[in-house]
Amino acid sequence: MVSRGTVKKIAANVLLVLLLSTVTSAFAGEELVLIVSSGSNIDQLDSSAVRKLFLGLTVQSNGNRLRPLLNESDAQLKEIFLQNIVSMSDSTYDRYVLQLSLQQGRKQPVVYRSNTQLIDSVAADPAAVSYAWVRDVEHDGRIRILRVVWHD
Amino acid sequence: MRVTYPSVGRYRLTPSSIHSPLSPGAAVYYSGLSIPRDFGYMKYTPWDARRAGRLGLSRSWRTIVLTALSIPFVCQTALAQHEHSSSEFEVFVAAEAVGSHPSHPRDDDDPWLDADVIFGLTHDRFRVFGEYFITPEEHDLERFQVGYEFVPDTMLWLGRFHQPSSAWNTEHHHGRYLQTAITRPSIESWEDQEGLIPQHITGALLESRRQVGSDAGVQFSGGVGAAPALAANDYQPITLVGGNPGKHGLSLTGRLAYLPDYAGTSSAGLLWGRDQVFVRNPAALAILRSNHAILGVYGAYTDWTVEAWRFIGAGYYVDVEFDRPTSDESFISGYLQAERQLSYRLTAFGRVEDSARMQESHYVSLFNDHSGDIDVTLRRVAAGLRWDYARRQALSCEFSHVVSIQRRAYELRLQWSAAVP
Repeated sequence: MVSRGTVKKIAANVLLVLLLSTVTSAFAGEELVLIVSSGSNIDQLDSSAVRKLFLGLTVQSNGNRLRPLLNESDAQLKEIFLQNIVSMSDSTYDRYVLQLSLQQGRKQPVVYRSNTQLIDSVAADPAAVSYAWVRDVEHDGRIRILRVVWHD
Repeated sequence: MRVTYPSVGRYRLTPSSIHSPLSPGAAVYYSGLSIPRDFGYMKYTPWDARRAGRLGLSRSWRTIVLTALSIPFVCQTALAQHEHSSSEFEVFVAAEAVGSHPSHPRDDDDPWLDADVIFGLTHDRFRVFGEYFITPEEHDLERFQVGYEFVPDTMLWLGRFHQPSSAWNTEHHHGRYLQTAITRPSIESWEDQEGLIPQHITGALLESRRQVGSDAGVQFSGGVGAAPALAANDYQPITLVGGNPGKHGLSLTGRLAYLPDYAGTSSAGLLWGRDQVFVRNPAALAILRSNHAILGVYGAYTDWTVEAWRFIGAGYYVDVEFDRPTSDESFISGYLQAERQLSYRLTAFGRVEDSARMQESHYVSLFNDHSGDIDVTLRRVAAGLRWDYARRQALSCEFSHVVSIQRRAYELRLQWSAAVP
């Protein structure tokens, strides 16, 4: 005969497995993509150019000076950006862009904490470059995906 | 009544050693009133004002320069309404407390509060950029530059800029938040802090960064313009607002650096400068026995980050040529600072500064004003800790042992610094 304690243990394990599978499926297949306006004539940007752009240096495409927009609508986005795009820690990145501002008066990349506002800004500016989860932009006709920056 | 005489460098002036015409600065001193410390960088006296038109930039020249600089600014303001313009505004603020043993007056580099205001406006390839530094004792437009970016990361600037052959100042400028240590190396001091090397030049500056191979880069900066004039105790660079007494010679400065990562934080390179400076003070003229000098600056620097470590070092050989028959002089100064990032957003740092032949130099002695503070540091050993306790805010403490021309002292500094917004 199965004791009441054993039943509780099994139930707890099942619950844990269910919770884990839910969390995993939430991030499974996640892709971070580089985005521009659909009206933009920006060609493909390699990772070196994307890094320079988000570090505040000048990057051109087809004669247009590109403008980086930072997407900080969620914490994981920022972490992936720091690891995979600029390859710097949060504090080093912050000091770097501040330093460029102090040295040459360069504009620091604009930060967006709302995904909707970011996508609207990218859509409205042919020189803007940003990044977002693919699920947030794949069905938006105003946005063109340049490439995948990171995937789960 | 007991009379105390003013001094210039290591020499104490007496009425007999100050030849006529007596400078009003000295006259004011004798009358027991204090000399106005500054209007910006200027230690302005009526004597200066009278001579400004004749020996400095003439009023018409100043008008032309200011007009030339302001035209693009006005244009940019209009263009800023266009969607492709952007502006930048940042303020670096710091508050500092200092204690010393044996006690001495605060150094000129130690305002208890300062704010460094950075403003920039970019429209396509044009950029207007300025730095305004404010302390309770001074306020001045330290930099004002109008630039055009010919190709990506190659800018030609016109205006007043920090000369590129200073390893420390071109990195940190006047903002304290971005420098880990509280103090700056003595050889990198600004002109109004009895700095030995001219730092603010008015003219043209070319800055370029080019890629080498797949990752690395080289950086070149070259400046040409008007050097500061040499007064009794310090250099007086051209100010864009106010008078510019004295004659300003030609300054040529440059830096060539290797960047292991084009967009990284490490670099190492060579520094070079040649400044022709004119002596505008009779007392300084009497000491140097030369009405002008040519400063040759030859140096090398590194600012290298290796994981949690950062090393900043520079060495300068400074050659001072005088008019004959005064014999030439030279001295050496250098420093090495090591920083280590620790847990809890703490950074430990230590710096060693040393010099050679500075004590024997008549030129260096000019900058020692006998005010009782630490003017020209010959050697310093410093160690400290910085805590970045919040975003863009830090608390730092620094303990150092300083040997100057006149005194030795232990100093303890505490600083709060921040960048806003």
